[in-house]
Amino acid sequence: MQRLAKRWTDLVPGALFLLAILALIEFAARTGLVNAAVVPPPTTVALVFAHIVTTGVFVVPVLQTLGTLFTGYAAGCVAGIACGVLMGSFRAAYNLFEPLTEMVRPIPKPALLPALMLFLGLGSTMKITLVALAAFFPVLVSTVQGTRGVDVTMIDMARTFGYGPAQILWKIVLPAAAPYFAVGMRVSLGISLVVIVVAEMLTTNGGVGGALIEMQQQFQVRQTYGWLVVLALIGFGLNALFAWAERRLTFWSAAS
Amino acid sequence: MNSDADERALRIDALAKTFGGKQPVMVFEGLSLDVRAGEFLSIVGPSGCGKSTLLQVVAGLLPASGGRVLLGGRDVTGAPAHMVYLFQQYSKSLLPWMTVEDNVIFAFNHRLHLGAREARERSREHLAMVGLQESASAYPWQLSGGMQQRVAIARALSADPKVLLMDEPFSSVDALTRMELHALISELWERKRFTTVLVTHDVDEAIFLADRVAVLSRRPATIAELVATELSRPRRAVETYEDPRFLALRHRLLERLLRKPEELDAAPR
Amino acid sequence: MKTRASGVVLVIALLVVWEGSVRLGFVQSSNWPPFSAVLAALYHGIVSGELLSIIGSSMWRMLRGYALGSALGISVGVAIALARPVRLTLEPTIELLRPIPITAIVPPLIFVLGLDDRLKVICIAFATFFPVVTNTISGVTAVDATYLRVARTFGIPRAQTIRSVIVPAALPYILAGLRTSLAIALVVTVIAEMLAGDQGIGHYLLSMQYALRAPEMYSAIILLTLVAYCLNRLFVLWENHVIGWARSREVHEAP
Repeated sequence: MQRLAKRWTDLVPGALFLLAILALIEFAARTGLVNAAVVPPPTTVALVFAHIVTTGVFVVPVLQTLGTLFTGYAAGCVAGIACGVLMGSFRAAYNLFEPLTEMVRPIPKPALLPALMLFLGLGSTMKITLVALAAFFPVLVSTVQGTRGVDVTMIDMARTFGYGPAQILWKIVLPAAAPYFAVGMRVSLGISLVVIVVAEMLTTNGGVGGALIEMQQQFQVRQTYGWLVVLALIGFGLNALFAWAERRLTFWSAAS
Repeated sequence: MNSDADERALRIDALAKTFGGKQPVMVFEGLSLDVRAGEFLSIVGPSGCGKSTLLQVVAGLLPASGGRVLLGGRDVTGAPAHMVYLFQQYSKSLLPWMTVEDNVIFAFNHRLHLGAREARERSREHLAMVGLQESASAYPWQLSGGMQQRVAIARALSADPKVLLMDEPFSSVDALTRMELHALISELWERKRFTTVLVTHDVDEAIFLADRVAVLSRRPATIAELVATELSRPRRAVETYEDPRFLALRHRLLERLLRKPEELDAAPR
Repeated sequence: MKTRASGVVLVIALLVVWEGSVRLGFVQSSNWPPFSAVLAALYHGIVSGELLSIIGSSMWRMLRGYALGSALGISVGVAIALARPVRLTLEPTIELLRPIPITAIVPPLIFVLGLDDRLKVICIAFATFFPVVTNTISGVTAVDATYLRVARTFGIPRAQTIRSVIVPAALPYILAGLRTSLAIALVVTVIAEMLAGDQGIGHYLLSMQYALRAPEMYSAIILLTLVAYCLNRLFVLWENHVIGWARSREVHEAP
């Protein structure tokens, strides 16, 4: 995870290394050491990326991808947390659903893509469903773990002050388990992004993945790399956003 | 005045608790005890004798296997209002995602439904009683052990208790802090006179704070002995510990507790 | 398992509902074959050897990529954890590359590496690398400085310290990382096979979908799931065997 360097001079070796690699590729591509047709110089890619940004052609696909991603991700997380709290709190619920979830969980979610395409077509419903399925399981597992780990003292304390079971679930169990399902949610975010891009690539009807695969199939090498940078930035941005949100909501847990 | 005194009277009537499972464990059976309204009663016993379990059953946190608990003449089912519990592991009973002030509000506002400003005022009032008004905006984990337990005490008081149940609340703090907390609890109790039951393994603490001390035998636990401390109030940390009556009682109780299990006679009251 | 009887009953009930919904005519679609047809396809696929050879080739691809990525991850991880200059140099680049969704890397790499095994193995290795390197770094840095000081006090040479103190102490973390990346490796194998070339289970699933041969497609999913499950179980068994002593310890990493 991102740790602030003790001194800004600490960032120098890493930055130099990165620049050195880029310079190496640049040199190799420009002098013909590698085939510039398949490995374009980074500067060219940067220009293509700048073009993508300034012409605004990235807007629609990015919004499409993010929209589908967030819808599916939110659905998967909410379902995962709800089921996780239920299964973690009530042995009967756990016994009932655990075999089922343990059978579906190992399925590599991209493998479900062809099946979902048959059922739900190629539209956003299918993609949202796939993302929700992918996001659900890591969140479920970590929520169950976190729910079980909630100290009974905290719950007893709330009982002595008159709180009923539903309120205890909402006001005590959920916040107490939050650091745990945050871990699951972070994993789910990564998987969801991967899955949405695959879905878009195979359905070729929109989103950043669709743009990327379109460029690849048209042999537009530099455009392909340009869109890769777009996706990389999306991944990076989402990660940073998540880390920030997680810190704000679970600031208390590292200390306790 | 009579009905008021009644409401603080706690009666344990032939209480029994058995933990089930493959090998059932009978923690206590036929245990009876009358806690007078407004009195401070200590319960001492060796570890594992079930004194914490007893307290949890009285608080309604665990169901009884038999017998009854009566508060003010009414059966206790579930955690009753005006009965507060002080936990041994205070750090696990304070909510770490809430400030100290909010933790106190959490306790009373569920039943009182005060507005935001009034709730904060009431919270700070009670924090002031334990000397923590400066720490209202801090988080529990930023405070020392003794301060955390004081927050728990403030929280307990804010719920307007008629009965205070304490489960070895001072065993996780250092000796000096413990004495400070003793003084605090004594002083607060003298002011408000809620019925207090303290469960502890520390005989000195038990005698120092209480009007009466009950000794619990080993499992299945019964009240092996019940004595009045008959020490003058207010109790003072240095003087009371040197009082001959204190020392005599301490001698007697320690001797009883340290006796080998075979020799320990359970004399049901 | 005996307490989860209700759950097993639920699964069986759902399968019965599945079968019944087709047989009784509630759902009429070639995309929704009866469960028995799926089982039949599975049986034929295994017996004819077709499914097994396809899954086998996928596994072979996966294992190569997994081994490559893990080896790199562990060595780089140890180097980063033990030498601050290495950490300062490499860590920023690793942190920059990590959030990139692996699927995005496949199309550009197709230009460089073509559509065959080499591409897929590299992609799998890339995805495997990150959880392993992270966990290895955690594990090695978590080794109590006290142990290291003790070793130095007794004059134990560095190489032996690494072998007898650091590696065993870091092992639970490293193995947790390897376990996580095993699942990731499988996912990336399927993805790479779907996006490039005509080999493996990923491609098979797509071609069954195009051909509208639903029973074959579902049977492949089931087989793939069984393989995933077995791989995970085997790994956990081996993990417990290696570090059974550390089981009570909490190992921090995502599930």
